[in-house]
Amino acid sequence: MASFGRFLARRTAQGLFVVLGVVTVVFALRYVTPGSPVDFIAPLDASQATRRRIADARGLDDPLWLQYVTYIGDLLQGEMGYSYRSRTAVAPRVFAKLPATLELAVAATVVAVALSIPLGVVSATRRHALPDKAATLFSLLGISTPNFWLGVMLVILFAVQFDVFPTSARPVGFLETVGNLLVVAADGPLVSTAWPLVHLDRLVLAAPLDASGFVADGRTWVAHLFLPAVTLGTYFTALITRLTRSGMLEQLGSGYIRAARAKGLPEALVRYRHALRNTLIPVITVVGLQLGTLIGGAVITEAVFAWPGLGTLVIDAINNRDWPLIQGCLVVIGTGFVVVNIAVDALYARLNPQVME
Amino acid sequence: MRPEIERRRFLELAGATTGVAALAGCTDDDDGGDTPTATDGEDGTPTEETATPSDPETREGYLKRANAVLHAEAPWIYLNRQYSVYGKSTDVEWDARRDETIDGYAIEPTGDRLSVTITQSEMDSGLDPHDHRETPTDNIVRQAYEGLLGRDREGKVVEQLATGFERVEDGRVRFELRSDVTFHNGDPFTAADAGFSVNRIVQSDVGGLESPQVDQLAGVTGATPADDGGAVIVESDGINPVVFSLFATYCDVVNKSWIEDNDAAYINSHMNGTGPFALETYEQDVKVVFERHDDYYRDPAPAEQLTIQAADESSTRVNQLQSGETDIIVNVPPQSVGEIQNSDDAEISAVPSTRVLYNAMIYNAEPFDSVEFRQAMNYAIDLPGIIETVLSEFGDPTGQPTLEGFTGYNADVDPYPHEPETAETLVEESGYAGASITLHTPNGRYLKDFEIAQAVVDEVDSLSNVDAEVKQRDFGKLAGELLDGDLETGPDWYLIGWGNATFDASQTILPLLTTDGALTSYSSERVDELMDQAQSTGGSN
Repeated sequence: MASFGRFLARRTAQGLFVVLGVVTVVFALRYVTPGSPVDFIAPLDASQATRRRIADARGLDDPLWLQYVTYIGDLLQGEMGYSYRSRTAVAPRVFAKLPATLELAVAATVVAVALSIPLGVVSATRRHALPDKAATLFSLLGISTPNFWLGVMLVILFAVQFDVFPTSARPVGFLETVGNLLVVAADGPLVSTAWPLVHLDRLVLAAPLDASGFVADGRTWVAHLFLPAVTLGTYFTALITRLTRSGMLEQLGSGYIRAARAKGLPEALVRYRHALRNTLIPVITVVGLQLGTLIGGAVITEAVFAWPGLGTLVIDAINNRDWPLIQGCLVVIGTGFVVVNIAVDALYARLNPQVME
Repeated sequence: MRPEIERRRFLELAGATTGVAALAGCTDDDDGGDTPTATDGEDGTPTEETATPSDPETREGYLKRANAVLHAEAPWIYLNRQYSVYGKSTDVEWDARRDETIDGYAIEPTGDRLSVTITQSEMDSGLDPHDHRETPTDNIVRQAYEGLLGRDREGKVVEQLATGFERVEDGRVRFELRSDVTFHNGDPFTAADAGFSVNRIVQSDVGGLESPQVDQLAGVTGATPADDGGAVIVESDGINPVVFSLFATYCDVVNKSWIEDNDAAYINSHMNGTGPFALETYEQDVKVVFERHDDYYRDPAPAEQLTIQAADESSTRVNQLQSGETDIIVNVPPQSVGEIQNSDDAEISAVPSTRVLYNAMIYNAEPFDSVEFRQAMNYAIDLPGIIETVLSEFGDPTGQPTLEGFTGYNADVDPYPHEPETAETLVEESGYAGASITLHTPNGRYLKDFEIAQAVVDEVDSLSNVDAEVKQRDFGKLAGELLDGDLETGPDWYLIGWGNATFDASQTILPLLTTDGALTSYSSERVDELMDQAQSTGGSN
């Protein structure tokens, strides 16, 4: 157990360096990217005096090393500076977008896992039969279809032509939906920066329980989430299907399976209890790592569906050369990636303790 | 033979008279639907006067002459006036405005629905009406805030919070104010509020803010309530002939005590104006919801609720419109126009905007220091063809820096015709035959900017005696080179767009085409002189 703790501590320390690296790289990029943010805040017809005012109000002329040191200092205190474009604090804006992005990433993962593992298993156990060929074709298409194209096609087909789903936006979120039933008690926020980070005891039943509101909001939420989740999850589904199939094939051909079959275990037990379980170890790792990728990689999907998450925020920020906002988004995305990685490592270490050595 | 004659005509005209209409009489393919024709009424009788005419007395006369000179001296390759192209649901009645803003008050929902949704490309940068310089934010704050003056759909000056305006003396104007107006929080609107709003923009120590809008009210030094309380006096240094034009476009009026009592974070997330809509909910980066202000001093707005949201991708906006999730979308790209026109539930609303696209040619750099060469560049391009193929007709050809409908627009000046032979002859005469030139252009900053630049370069390159190529540039870098005040550091030939929401020629010519202009590429004594005369003559707004 002690070694597991040490393992976790080491991974966390490494993760902190990764986040620091992200910040440093962003500052380096800032140095080599042409164009002053002033040109994106003010139109061409703004006078030099106006440009001066804009630059001064944002500290744009401070030397970069000073901006860097200030930024790291702010970051250690949980601050992320102020947006160049709107001069509002970055941290609350970025955190406000986090639920939308997490919802999308988790939903895409759920879609992917729910589809891909059965597909992979069927395809491995009925190798070369029709389901296997269909699954192989599907995963080939899934891996090679670009996200933005798929998203636009799904919208045109299911939202514009057949009007089954809305085209875009996110009128309600998961938290608002659940808020019809559960609310956070008045004595403090649910999440804080001090330990314990999450106060689940502050979650109480809503005083007037709004079950119909919950259902209505829930339907809206799912309807808006469905197409983006499918779009984002398709590549992922294809990837896991392939992984499950090849893992399953490998396991089914190995010695212990032959032994199990030889001793007369029922085939279902052999496949799902023994072979599938061992197949899932690498699958879980990849699912976890992909979840991290999805948090950062949803940019295109979010743009196509006007999904108000970190992706749309970072695109707007880049369009405006709003460096503090870009940094804030990347720090959160990077941290998310690192946290997911550590969690996956920890899980993997529990499943296979050999890796801790 | 023909080019010879035309050149001689040109040299006459370069001495600055009006009519050059006869030179460009062959651009008759101007069929963009409700496109207003530039020369309606006054067409067909170009003034043939030469030499020095008697000085025109009016400011507008000087501006018109400056435009005629600038046509003849050709400091730019004149390109297209951009259109604002919106998509609109058939569930609402609304017509696009020329000044790129969307006036929620003018949107009428039909049927029994009373809420209206607008999807633009980007959300606001905070709700303080004096702390931004961009259209997406303007579109949002101007539903709740109003100015002393405003503009109608065509750009004409109309009264808003002022009931009258007059020039008391040079540098001093007086706005009579409405007495029946309340802010959304219930406070009555007073002359003190009007004066404070002006001062908050032009004076850096008023209102807790150094407003980036200071040069939108250029020349204005401050405002004070009149003694009787029913008016505000605005002071300028100098004559400030465009002061009413500036106030019709800029300067939103805020509530003095509300601004003074609240901090920047609050002012940026709440609204307290006098306009037809009051803020209901503000979700930063996501959407703004307004409700109708029922105590509005005019008739209440037709729509009860107004939502403004954003989608960065144009295809997303088009899809939202087609599936009925929004009522008005901005910036429909040419390739989506047909799709919307063919749909039963949506249509296109397009209007010439206040933005012009042009290719500047630095006046003292070879080969652009030759007027013949610059004219040749204008003759070389098929502007109507570019507008047809690249912009699907959503653009008007221009032949002078000032747009039709603006104060100072010269209706006798037509765009250059497409005459490659004339162009080749002029290049020979310029002495720069064999020149090799490079057009610097941003990509994606303006509608189809790179495609237009490519078309221009192809046509110039197809001249037998000029080689041209196009170079894509990062907009920020290009803007930096152009704005540093040194012509030497920037490119000699570049594509850029210029928006002028004041509907006055001076706000284009002064910064871009006079010797001291902030973004100038040109210097000509004749133009400088005419602009000096125009700006020292009061009278027109």
